[in-house]
Amino acid sequence: MKKIALPMLMLCGMFAYKPCEAQLLKKIKDKVNQVANKTTGNNDSQTSSTGSETSNSGKPTNKGGGGLTNTPPPDVNQQMADAEKSFDATKYSDARYSIQQALMGVEIQLGRELLKSLPSDVNGLSKDTTQDKVVSTQWGWANMTIQRVYTDGKDKQLTTSIGNSGLYAGLLNVYFNSAYVQADANQQNVKQTKVKDYKAIITYDDNKGYTLIVPIGQSSMIAWECINFANENEVMDAAAKFDIDGIKKKLGEQ
Amino acid sequence: MKHTILFFTAIFFVSAVFAQTDFKGEVATARTSYASGKLEDTHFALQQALGDLDIIIGKEVLKLLPTQLDVLNANTASDNVTANVGFIGATIHRDYGNTPEKKAEIEIISNSPMIGTLNAFLNTPILGGMMRDENNKTVKVQGYKARLERTDAGNGKYNYKLDIPFSSSLLTLNVDNSTEAETLAMANKIPLQDVAKLIQ
Repeated sequence: MKKIALPMLMLCGMFAYKPCEAQLLKKIKDKVNQVANKTTGNNDSQTSSTGSETSNSGKPTNKGGGGLTNTPPPDVNQQMADAEKSFDATKYSDARYSIQQALMGVEIQLGRELLKSLPSDVNGLSKDTTQDKVVSTQWGWANMTIQRVYTDGKDKQLTTSIGNSGLYAGLLNVYFNSAYVQADANQQNVKQTKVKDYKAIITYDDNKGYTLIVPIGQSSMIAWECINFANENEVMDAAAKFDIDGIKKKLGEQ
Repeated sequence: MKHTILFFTAIFFVSAVFAQTDFKGEVATARTSYASGKLEDTHFALQQALGDLDIIIGKEVLKLLPTQLDVLNANTASDNVTANVGFIGATIHRDYGNTPEKKAEIEIISNSPMIGTLNAFLNTPILGGMMRDENNKTVKVQGYKARLERTDAGNGKYNYKLDIPFSSSLLTLNVDNSTEAETLAMANKIPLQDVAKLIQ
């Protein structure tokens, strides 16, 4: 009886061990994927590590493709020439479209130049150029946003956004003109401060970390979102590493 | 009288020429600024050019609008085109009729991002359904979906408002003391397709 019981127990043990083994296998697979993605510079570890091939709705899950190729921004000179040509042919709608394209081209170039002028390291955090972004919309009120991310590779991250959107700047001015912001003495999560002599607002939220916003000129602003920064001073110190005067000049603000 | 007409024609002509040279001038400024690497100046000049273009487009649209709606004559003296770089591209205005009892006006807002909301209403049956009551309905004018809204004028009659969106532009026709049939008949006098071609 004992002789039979022993192999039976071992068999049970093997069965019981199987889920752990599967987990281990998955972990190894994930690790391999991570390494593979790192070497190929591919960033879609999420899609490759999800085991299921079809989603809940029965639609197949996209496991990756070539993506869109990075096209150069609109050729400003060409667009301006097109605009003039359409204008002469009294095709005003086409002329308008070309001018809008030219505007976008200029904004994207402006954004790229700004990105180049930003520091490559900020207090031990290095830039992650894969997350550089220049967004230009054709609408006048939210023209352009430029984003640059600095990270230490772990959990500390600084995201800089520079925009010339009059809409946000207007909202900020409301902040500056209200005395109530500093009145809540119990727990102050929003307050006014200064970065390199520029008026600024700093906010703190347990989930989002610190956010520092500096409006520059008539309609532009710079925002720093700081995740896992130890304290306010560290945030201010990081912001001081940026050439605010230079950014302001590039944006054509007074 | 003749002199006044001549004077106004001259002014209109001069302003039209002025606007045209302005556009060319702004594009020329943009070119030179761009060539010398002054991106922000280029940006500003291009925005100005866009504003000039909006005014020119507005004037072209005014030429397309009918001079008479039903029995109402256009008050061309109050024709107006405003270019606002930013929120709204341009607003084009024309009104009809001289008496306070009977008036109509056409208002066109071009290149505004806010128009998207109205489009969503027209194209989403559930949203449209929720918004619909006896004073509000979706109609079709020359093949374009439009929203017709009426408000009580207080004298047993209604004021009608017809909104016709074209992607990012919006044409609104307001008719006071009217009926649905009359409003739609007026709307059918507007060459929507030609207007759309210009402002889209």
